[in-house]
Amino acid sequence: MSEISCEEVLHEIEHFVDGELDPARSAHLAEHLGVCGSCLDRADFQRRLKEIVRVKCSGPSPTPEHLLEKVRRAIREDPPAVV
Amino acid sequence: MNANAETAEGAAGQPDPRDQADLDARFEQEVMPQLPTLYSAALRLTRNPTDAEDLVQETFLRAYRGFHQFEPGTNLRAWLYRILMNTFINTYRKKQREPQTVSDDEVEDWYLYSRMVGGTEPSAETTVIEALPDQDVQDALAELPEQFRTAVMLADVDGFSYKEIADIMGVPIGTVMSRLHRGRKALEKALWNKVRERGLVRD
Repeated sequence: MSEISCEEVLHEIEHFVDGELDPARSAHLAEHLGVCGSCLDRADFQRRLKEIVRVKCSGPSPTPEHLLEKVRRAIREDPPAVV
Repeated sequence: MNANAETAEGAAGQPDPRDQADLDARFEQEVMPQLPTLYSAALRLTRNPTDAEDLVQETFLRAYRGFHQFEPGTNLRAWLYRILMNTFINTYRKKQREPQTVSDDEVEDWYLYSRMVGGTEPSAETTVIEALPDQDVQDALAELPEQFRTAVMLADVDGFSYKEIADIMGVPIGTVMSRLHRGRKALEKALWNKVRERGLVRD
């Protein structure tokens, strides 16, 4: 298997963490991360940061109780598109 | 474009009442349960409960009108988000006068990482960010210009793929990747500012 440089790995790390690399490329990067602590640290950092954003921003924003009924009413009263 | 539209519509171009009843039932069963998800997304976009309600109502109305064009079995959540985004852009973005770009020239790659490492043990790099109140992280995201906020929100909060985000935002995948990269860098800078304001790190 061809060598992959840290520079190449870091260039693609965002796509790697996002799960957007094709499986072969992803495996190739994972292999590098297995032996390169410095790249692994950065990959872990990126992954944790993504997770923090997800957890802290998807916090509960309870839907107002009346909204469901309001939307249903708007749909019921929506004039049909006939002439 | 859609084989379904062919069968769902009668000669006058209007759904036959039976099909309409069927569509209504499916809308109630499949689309209405998405309301809480869409409301959360609307709240993140508008940052205001009243606007979020209006946005959700308009989105569902548009979704209802266009539901006969939705291809069953395809990605309903992405379809709804696309309507949400279009509605948002058409009605709300015009009201907001905010810069549509981030000046990220001074934000280098690994901005936050390079400020976090050193001093702490390797696994503690994100602990100060974790220590931030949720509201701070939400504010940091909310303060990003809209295109970048949306890209980061769709990828990191809602978990959509690049392809789905491209469809939802109506831009090429390359644009999604660029907005994500720049948006995340800008977010890192905003988070660093929050961490400093809170006095969680020493300069």
